[in-house]
Amino acid sequence: MLQISRLSRADWFGPLLATIIAIVLIQSFSATFLSAYNIEILLLAIAVNALVAYAQMIIIAIGQMNLSVGAIGGLAAISFAGAMEVWGLPAPLALVFALFIGVLAGMVNGILIRITGISAFVITLATLSIYKGINLGITEAQPFYGIPESVKSFGSAILVGPIPLLVAPTIVVTLLLWFMLRRLPIGRFILAVGSNDHAAALSGISVSKTVIAAHAISGLLAAIAGVLVVARLQIGQPSIGDDWLILSFAAPVIGGAILAGGHVSTMATMLGVVIVAIITQALVLFSIDPFLVQVVLGAMILAAVGLNRLRARQPLKGSM
Amino acid sequence: MTQTPIFRAQSIEKAFPGVLALKGVDISLHPGSIHALLGENGAGKSTLIKVITGVHQPTAGTMYLDGAETRFTSPRDAIAKGIGVVHQERNLFPRFSVAENIFLEQLATSYLKPVNYAQLNRDARPWLDALELDIDPATPVSELSVARMQLVEIAKALSLKSRVLLLDEPTASLTSSETDRLFTILRRLRDDGTSLVFVSHKLEEVQEICDRVTVLRDGANACDSRSMDGVDRDQLVQMMIGRSEGAAAWRHRDTASHPEVLGLTGVSTVLGHRDITLSVRKGEIVGLYGLIGVGRTELAKSIMGQFAVTGGEVRVNGTAVQIGSVAEAIHRHGLGYISEDRKGEGLILQHSVLANAGVPIWRKLAGALGSLSDGRVQQVVTPFLNKLEVKTPSLAQTVGNLSGGNQQKISVAKWLAAGVSFLIVDEPSVGIDIKTKAYLHELLRELADNGTAILLISSDMPEMIALADRIAVMDDYRIRGEVPNTGVYDDISRKIMNHIHGSEVDRTEFAEASNP
Repeated sequence: MLQISRLSRADWFGPLLATIIAIVLIQSFSATFLSAYNIEILLLAIAVNALVAYAQMIIIAIGQMNLSVGAIGGLAAISFAGAMEVWGLPAPLALVFALFIGVLAGMVNGILIRITGISAFVITLATLSIYKGINLGITEAQPFYGIPESVKSFGSAILVGPIPLLVAPTIVVTLLLWFMLRRLPIGRFILAVGSNDHAAALSGISVSKTVIAAHAISGLLAAIAGVLVVARLQIGQPSIGDDWLILSFAAPVIGGAILAGGHVSTMATMLGVVIVAIITQALVLFSIDPFLVQVVLGAMILAAVGLNRLRARQPLKGSM
Repeated sequence: MTQTPIFRAQSIEKAFPGVLALKGVDISLHPGSIHALLGENGAGKSTLIKVITGVHQPTAGTMYLDGAETRFTSPRDAIAKGIGVVHQERNLFPRFSVAENIFLEQLATSYLKPVNYAQLNRDARPWLDALELDIDPATPVSELSVARMQLVEIAKALSLKSRVLLLDEPTASLTSSETDRLFTILRRLRDDGTSLVFVSHKLEEVQEICDRVTVLRDGANACDSRSMDGVDRDQLVQMMIGRSEGAAAWRHRDTASHPEVLGLTGVSTVLGHRDITLSVRKGEIVGLYGLIGVGRTELAKSIMGQFAVTGGEVRVNGTAVQIGSVAEAIHRHGLGYISEDRKGEGLILQHSVLANAGVPIWRKLAGALGSLSDGRVQQVVTPFLNKLEVKTPSLAQTVGNLSGGNQQKISVAKWLAAGVSFLIVDEPSVGIDIKTKAYLHELLRELADNGTAILLISSDMPEMIALADRIAVMDDYRIRGEVPNTGVYDDISRKIMNHIHGSEVDRTEFAEASNP
């Protein structure tokens, strides 16, 4: 009994239950849902979306928000493609360059927030526009087509069965993030600062370094997502990242993250991504108007926030 | 006491833009001593604490550690040199374990070395044992009671090898039995040679536990590190406020013949109150005493219509009523509630004095199309603000910039302006200084004399005895009994404790049985 109630309080329990129910329901209506082809499509979406969600999650953890996740991802994507096409850099070097751009863009966010004391919302709204502007200035809104074969084949390779190779980086990142937030001081500091930055400072934690580090990690994750999209699309599309914003908040929130900061869960966020992907896919399978996807996504965010609040209220009564 | 002090500060000055907060303050802290630091709000206590703990740098003056001159460049620096502090507000991370909270400081030296939680839990054990804290170090702090959280903070400070430990209002949110336990622990720390600094507004506690005292007034020493021997309460007060207390003592008031304003019979609520029977007459102050978390504030909010009453009868002026919302409670029934949480629930800090004082009467004053004019609100509110002597440069002043005492006065004034006949006052003197407290007590008495029925919620026993005509004792969401106030402290506190004890005995036994 105690075991079950403890399980039900874990962050990933609710989303896992929802995932299983959704899969069973959809499968019962549409037998093709769990076909190999469909699973591959689902996994491709999840691989990228999880990184996008993590990029936001790490900023939610410090109690801020990052509106520029998509813009950073887009900038990293065209940097990656551009470095290979224009400068003729080999793919690994272009990758390092793109990730460096992502980290740099994230750090700029963090530094501006700490120096000016202006809210992250405003700063990242501004840098969203700046990064997107740089992107369009470089590309003149035209894609880079000169993607080397090695990258293209990575983007379309299959690991085993219906599982694309593209999920490998995401799995590695998921494990690293999980370990960081659980075990590494930097992860604990991020959660501590998000929970109470004043108390964190009094405990000898450098709030500035922690905030800047969190934004750098966010930028890095967005950049990895951008690079993966280039590999999948096989072109350096300037519009990469334009539609990441809502999704980036939806998954962590469905995973029980508290927007005020101090509490996020990597595994539950991953499940949040899975739920969003499954439902989006189901709408396509049932040939429902794709514009409705946005409506459903919004409704899911509202429902998740509402549930989180209910859940946060319950233990209070027991402890009184 | 001729031994050299561990820490000494001499002629400390601290200037902020436009204010000289400390004007040459001295203090010396000896090993094996509990040193009281007293002063009214604004006297400079907090500034002095911040200077001693490295948060602020003194503008002038010198500090000595073990006789050698020293300076603290940051809080971490002060900690490293053995100065620990437990701040008034909790500085713990609720979702982190007890052990991690204690050792976060040590983790802060590296960013990437994996945390060994098993080791952390083992290391935490001795510090918890030293404070007789029987909790698993892996427990998240959010599952602890407020008192235990406080002890975890003390454990944290001790784990940093603090030789000087400053405690800023450590008893503010503790019940009296928890306070007793804390004092036992503080005495033991003292006997082990720690130098403790104890900041409190509660002079009874200071007299009970402290052996030395420094009093600040207007940023200067009213006394410097003198022995507590032969210093009585009146002398302390005199040093703090520069004159004697002058608060009217409790007096018997006969209200038995007055009509009942608010009555509860067998009331239960959705929050878990059962069988609550309570009656407050016109002009009467009824105390609702109980420890924190036994359902007092929750009862107040249920009376005000915020939470549903599920059974029994609520009467206002003799008529049974159903109060569906707070607006109804205020406007139709003339009930008012002064929240214990001034900042969170009582006042809108970013708004002006006028806007705050006028909120409950906006509806009444609204003219055609619901329009309001500041002039009309001002007309109604000003007499009450004047009467309470609210010190504000203008009615347009933002409430957040006023002192705690003045904020409290505004929360009272707004209900007076609304003309309520029944007022619930929840922990009115938490965080306000002695002078304002005495003033507030006079004010509540005057309100009652003029016919307002008052339900006073407080866990400050002296306050209860100074004000209440009768004291209802609450525990575990039930009324355990009622004690008529005779003004005799010992007698009443024993009776109250008997009422609470009756129910607490079973609970302790239960806790022990389930936690072998």
